[in-house]
Amino acid sequence: MTKQTAYEKPIPLKTPDNHEYWDAADRHELKLQKCSACSTYIHPPGPACPTCGSPEMEWELLGSDITATVYSYIVSYRPFLPGFQHDLPTVITVAALDAAPDVKIMANIIECDPADVEIGIPLKMTWVDVTDDRALPQWVLARG
Amino acid sequence: MATYSNQCAIVGVGENQRSRKSGTTPLHMALTAARNALADAGLDAKDLDGIMNYSTGGDSCPSHELATYLGCHPKYVKDVSGGGSSTELLIADAVALIEAGMLETVLIYRSMNGSSGVQVGRGYDPNMLQEMLPGGSFIMPYGSASPSQWFGMFANRHMHETGITKEHLGHVCISFYEHAQRNPNAFLNGKPLDMETYLATPDISMPFNIHDCCVELDEANAIIVTSASNAKNCKSKPVFIAGMAPRTTHSHVHYWTQVDEVAADHAAADLYKSAGVKPEDIQVASIYDCFSWVVLRQLESYGFAKRGEVGDFVAAGNLKMGGSLPSNTAGGMLSEGYTHGMNNVLELVRQLRHDYKGTERQVKDCELGIATGWAGPDIAGAMILRN
Repeated sequence: MTKQTAYEKPIPLKTPDNHEYWDAADRHELKLQKCSACSTYIHPPGPACPTCGSPEMEWELLGSDITATVYSYIVSYRPFLPGFQHDLPTVITVAALDAAPDVKIMANIIECDPADVEIGIPLKMTWVDVTDDRALPQWVLARG
Repeated sequence: MATYSNQCAIVGVGENQRSRKSGTTPLHMALTAARNALADAGLDAKDLDGIMNYSTGGDSCPSHELATYLGCHPKYVKDVSGGGSSTELLIADAVALIEAGMLETVLIYRSMNGSSGVQVGRGYDPNMLQEMLPGGSFIMPYGSASPSQWFGMFANRHMHETGITKEHLGHVCISFYEHAQRNPNAFLNGKPLDMETYLATPDISMPFNIHDCCVELDEANAIIVTSASNAKNCKSKPVFIAGMAPRTTHSHVHYWTQVDEVAADHAAADLYKSAGVKPEDIQVASIYDCFSWVVLRQLESYGFAKRGEVGDFVAAGNLKMGGSLPSNTAGGMLSEGYTHGMNNVLELVRQLRHDYKGTERQVKDCELGIATGWAGPDIAGAMILRN
């Protein structure tokens, strides 16, 4: 019998400003904060709009069919946080959402050969259940 | 726009002996650096009426403690949580307080057991960034906790857009390692680097291998700033503060997704305007070099080479002695040691005083130098010094 190992990596900390994002992630959905005054998406979410300073904000559900392109990325060969020693090399990307290219979401590109990653390639969002009640948005290569 | 008009000068610089393991506290190291800077200036601790220091995560000692054990009671102490542009920005604060007539002589220091104590390059505490910063929860779960990863993200995009190659990064490292061979106090003195070795070294965080990353050590540095009129009473040759510019850009402290610009791009215009000089007037440089690419990016920002031509600029040997911009001539943080930017400023002061005159380490007859600080892509501080 294989013993279930506990999830060792940092789990996103929910705060009054960001819990809508992470609550949606737990349901395998992407939800973004948006400024009600200037209509700019706000990511990461916060207590006011970094573009215009307005405290009036709303949340927009983008659903579960999320595509993006690699804007930049790195390949890490050493772990800097607990748990990543099992996942080397680690690919970390900032990916521009196809639906809103100004929004760039940082995550790992999982289940990929780092040699296949380059700037501009298409990605698809997936959600990995990391504990019984938490899920983490991740990217996978969008295979054409 | 502030006009600095050479109203203040750096009159003393000092450091302790850098090492992997100091076996002592930041307070002891800071005392050594401060006493050496005072001796360099020919000043007594009682001449100091301001002391300032910066630290990260409480890795230093408070200015008040330093004052206590120097045996003085300055009017003013200030401790800030800072980064790679804090040397320049605290000097700016000192200049402002001196010009306002509140203070006369200020000592600024950075002391850190950067190897045996808190080592930034190993990454930050898993919970610290999440609890401290709204963006922290969006980077830590993905394993991004080290500056090599954060700056690597910028580097890869910038290299993709401008054609900078791994070899170009190597030329920065090799140039600075070459300088370190002339500096007996450089940690990598006796360990020159060639391109073959550089290219054969595996990456830690792409595009950076160990040579692209600064050498984190236990060390302390100190700088003394005073008014130009008081500088006349000092033992050393004064190096005047001719211009200064601070700048922030990006939203968020660490969740950076807009990698097309850096704060240094915007600091540059203000900097040259405040000093009344142009990039081509600069004869010697201290370019913040926590990572090799950070040097390349700032050469573009501060107008030493055009975007897309920076790689060729360093490949042609321009950062070396005899090049158009001899830079980080003590070896820089890549090979002398990492005092969070301050050791590069110490070297610039010594170059402009012609301390190395008659040796091959001296940038001959240099009169005008630049020091650039990079706390990150989002925060810059830079100054121009002249003798």
